[in-house]
Amino acid sequence: MPDSRRSERAAALRAVAPVLLAIMPFGIVYGAIAVGSGLTILQAMGFSVSVFAGASQLAAIQILGAGGPVWSALLTIVALNFRHVLYSASMGRHLGRFSAVEKAAAFYVLVDPVFGAAEVRASERPLTKSFYFTYGAIIYTGWQIASLIGAVFGSLIEDPKAFGLDFVLPVYFLALVMTFRKRGQFYPVALTSLLVSMLVYLTLGPPWHVSIGGLAGIAVGAMVGGSGEAAEETTGHA
Amino acid sequence: MHDIWLVIALGGVLTYLTRVGGHLIVARIGQIPPRAAAALDAVPAAVLTAIVGPVLVSGDWPERIAILACLFLSLRLPLIVTVVIGTAGVAFARAAGF
Repeated sequence: MPDSRRSERAAALRAVAPVLLAIMPFGIVYGAIAVGSGLTILQAMGFSVSVFAGASQLAAIQILGAGGPVWSALLTIVALNFRHVLYSASMGRHLGRFSAVEKAAAFYVLVDPVFGAAEVRASERPLTKSFYFTYGAIIYTGWQIASLIGAVFGSLIEDPKAFGLDFVLPVYFLALVMTFRKRGQFYPVALTSLLVSMLVYLTLGPPWHVSIGGLAGIAVGAMVGGSGEAAEETTGHA
Repeated sequence: MHDIWLVIALGGVLTYLTRVGGHLIVARIGQIPPRAAAALDAVPAAVLTAIVGPVLVSGDWPERIAILACLFLSLRLPLIVTVVIGTAGVAFARAAGF
């Protein structure tokens, strides 16, 4: 059915356009900081190709730049990316139309915006390969291009904060999370995550606020929604 | 920075494990119990909120006000419009010296 494939691809393009706007500046900033910390352009790109997770790439470079050992850089990468375990557990339920190899590829590009967009899509209709891989390939390619631009021309951006670029991702995630507000347990879950993440941020500090705040909200979701009608609804598309 | 390629390679492997791990665990357990399904349904709202939340305590006043304003804007406006308005607002507030 080439028609439906084309419309799935078009839907993915519409959904990914604003997100590209959000991640490209972040990728450019990453590339600029990486090269500024002493990485070669090839090394800066190697990180983006293999890890493909901006915050953890930046954190690892900062640790190595400060003379930290390899294991502490790796531990930080795992801590910052641990949320992907939760994404992956949830996303696996929507990949029924994917072969084993396609699943393996799908998980390789499972970053925050891909997860958000695919979850929104799956809540409306079955998730297709056309939609997922169009969206994922564009995000992945965009991240590589942005990293390269940043690594090559990064020194030209003297102060990314002046343009509010550090604020793009928080606003983007906020707007994304609000698209889930029709889900059954949204408000108790989101409020719990909000309070716990702020508390952890102020006490333990980053990056733990993401994992612990997230787990607190999930626990509330399990307690409030684990029985009756809500549970039937949630397992319906498993 | 001599170990950088080692960190690039192992960091990539470890990150991929986090991206595939949750699915492998669920696939091994098999049937998802209702309570676990409710927990999984809560994942996006919980994790994305936890990423954004600290802006309220870490940022300065322009960021705090902008994030609250964007919360209300996101109820009415498309995602892209909210992002552009929020980012521009913070950039202007900083340019004005707040």
